[in-house]
Amino acid sequence: VKFSFFHLMPYPYLPDDFDEKYDSTALTFPNKHFDPDLGVRLYQRYLDELEYADVLGFDGIAVNEHHQSAYGLMPSPNIMAAALTRRTSRARIMVLGNAIGIRGNPLRVAEEIAMLDLLSDGRVDSGFVRGIGWEYFGHSINPTKSRSRFNEAHDLIVKAWTSDELFAWNGDNYEYRYVNIWPKPVQKPHPPIYIPGAGSTETMKFCAERKYAYMSVYAPTRIVGRWFDGYRKAADDLGYVPDPEKIAFSVPVYVAETSQQAHEEARPMVEWLYHLGLKQTAEMVTPPGYMSPGSLRGVLASGMHGFRESPYEDLLANGQAVVGSPAAVADRLGELHAELGGFGQLIGLFSIGPATHQQVMRSAELFAGEVMPALRSLGLSTSPA
Amino acid sequence: VTTDAPAEDYLDLSGAGRVHLFRDGSGEPVLFLHAAGGAGTWPEFHARLARRFDVIAPDHPGFGKSDEFPEAEGVDDLVYHYLDVLDALGLETAHVVGASFGGWIAAELAVAAPHRVRSLVLLSAAGLRLPDHPVTDLFLTPPGKLPEILFHSPPPASPGAGREVGRGRPGGRSGPVGRGNEVGQACSGPDLDAILAAYREATSLARFSWVPYLSNPKLERRLHRITAPTLVIAPDDDRLIPVAHARRYADRIPGARYAEVRDCGHSMHFEKPAECADLTTAFISGHSPSDQITDGVSR
Repeated sequence: VKFSFFHLMPYPYLPDDFDEKYDSTALTFPNKHFDPDLGVRLYQRYLDELEYADVLGFDGIAVNEHHQSAYGLMPSPNIMAAALTRRTSRARIMVLGNAIGIRGNPLRVAEEIAMLDLLSDGRVDSGFVRGIGWEYFGHSINPTKSRSRFNEAHDLIVKAWTSDELFAWNGDNYEYRYVNIWPKPVQKPHPPIYIPGAGSTETMKFCAERKYAYMSVYAPTRIVGRWFDGYRKAADDLGYVPDPEKIAFSVPVYVAETSQQAHEEARPMVEWLYHLGLKQTAEMVTPPGYMSPGSLRGVLASGMHGFRESPYEDLLANGQAVVGSPAAVADRLGELHAELGGFGQLIGLFSIGPATHQQVMRSAELFAGEVMPALRSLGLSTSPA
Repeated sequence: VTTDAPAEDYLDLSGAGRVHLFRDGSGEPVLFLHAAGGAGTWPEFHARLARRFDVIAPDHPGFGKSDEFPEAEGVDDLVYHYLDVLDALGLETAHVVGASFGGWIAAELAVAAPHRVRSLVLLSAAGLRLPDHPVTDLFLTPPGKLPEILFHSPPPASPGAGREVGRGRPGGRSGPVGRGNEVGQACSGPDLDAILAAYREATSLARFSWVPYLSNPKLERRLHRITAPTLVIAPDDDRLIPVAHARRYADRIPGARYAEVRDCGHSMHFEKPAECADLTTAFISGHSPSDQITDGVSR
């Protein structure tokens, strides 16, 4: 198993009456609540944490894209990735990912990832995401075009990275008469691609066909297990067994010296993440057309409920957060590995909600020093489900 | 009050798909273009019009029981779609009545093909972009709040509201699952089908009107092209589309008449079916060569 340190860069300073007064940390939560001076310090702190993860021996350090939200302060993940290229030397720099469904000009993404690949000397992983529901409101992109825009932007970007000849592009969403990017990426054929899945069979097939890494989003283990099974099945239909590293499990992780201390400290972090950070209305989650009828039917029939209805204990029991002493965390991740039919990458969220810098650094140290060695060989003897 | 619907019918548009419609009554042909909600219904308003006219009420592409017509991506495509519908019905011309979203389509049709429209009646029509009078964001409105936006006096059971935009959009109140997942109870059977049907209609509405939101910025400067006698009807308490929109329509459409219905909200032909039907009937009759009656519309 490979391990990465994923950051959302949250803005944890919500007003005390946030929960009564606001539907969400996103879209409609007024930015008068954002203090730029605190933002300056947060950015420095969060980049320090990612850089420390490189020193500690994490295989990857990961950033992502969110807009108009206290949930995550990275409208452009590529800017953060650029900052990391010059201050780290070893870890993969994982952009998980660019929200190409809502980009006006996806060629710009091809260019920026190519730049990052050069800056990092081939350490960039390129995730592509559609962008989440509220971002289709916030960036005024028609959600009924989401999948079409995503697919077309993906095809364009990959072709732009790999073509040695100038070409023209005429698609449903984008038209370019001259595609001819300078620079091109250094990794061949192009930086590895990661795609998050949340149950859509279209996405499983899309990833399996291209042998892309399929990564989970936060959901109960029984549901994530179904997604991973779906991806393995899609690969099986194509006649191959996916490399374990192509299956990436995402989960918030918090480690302290003892399990008791870990739970005391992690409870407000995990509750912030799931009960406040991700608070949003149903309308924001699924704007019209964002989901296909088949995917929506599947999700509704699965009986998933809102995070806010899940107390801390349930979130732990459902595998939506892993908390404890190093030994307890190693055991729990071993269990989840077995329940999920195996995964070759763990994308850990270590800086959770209102966690302090010291807590995050210590948790990452303990994880790198005591949990990673215990789990390195996990799955090497496990046969695919 | 919903009345017994007439037998339903389907219109085949040469390979492009099937249009579901209700049709009843006889006399001058009246094409009714429904609001974001209201597909596949035959409410009291329709029944009242059908006492005097041949009322044809199709479901828009992607609404009710009509097919998707996926190539229809914008309101310009809907104009061509309804020209095809008129052709398929064998109607060289018709009176056109449109409510809200359907009012927008009706106005665009009358701009693009004035010779096909005998008269035009707009009921709390969408379609104009008036930045000083913004339209409430239906897509961000929870279903439970729709009745108070759509009605002056929300009825306890909201007969029309149930069918208005976004009826029963999926999901419970709080928090997502993962990123981009839906919330709510495990769902099956008729509930699930109803949610999926509502999501399909909301998706169709978004296809035509997410951005620019429920409007065509070019429409206002084209309204002078309308030659049909036009009646613009507005409710006095429209909490979705400010009444300024109706007034602008009336100002820009040559010779248009304007009427306001009192104590009435946006879903006016559901909330005040008798008043709306009387105004509409009188106006259309006044512009029907075969059915001359003095129209009682006040300016």
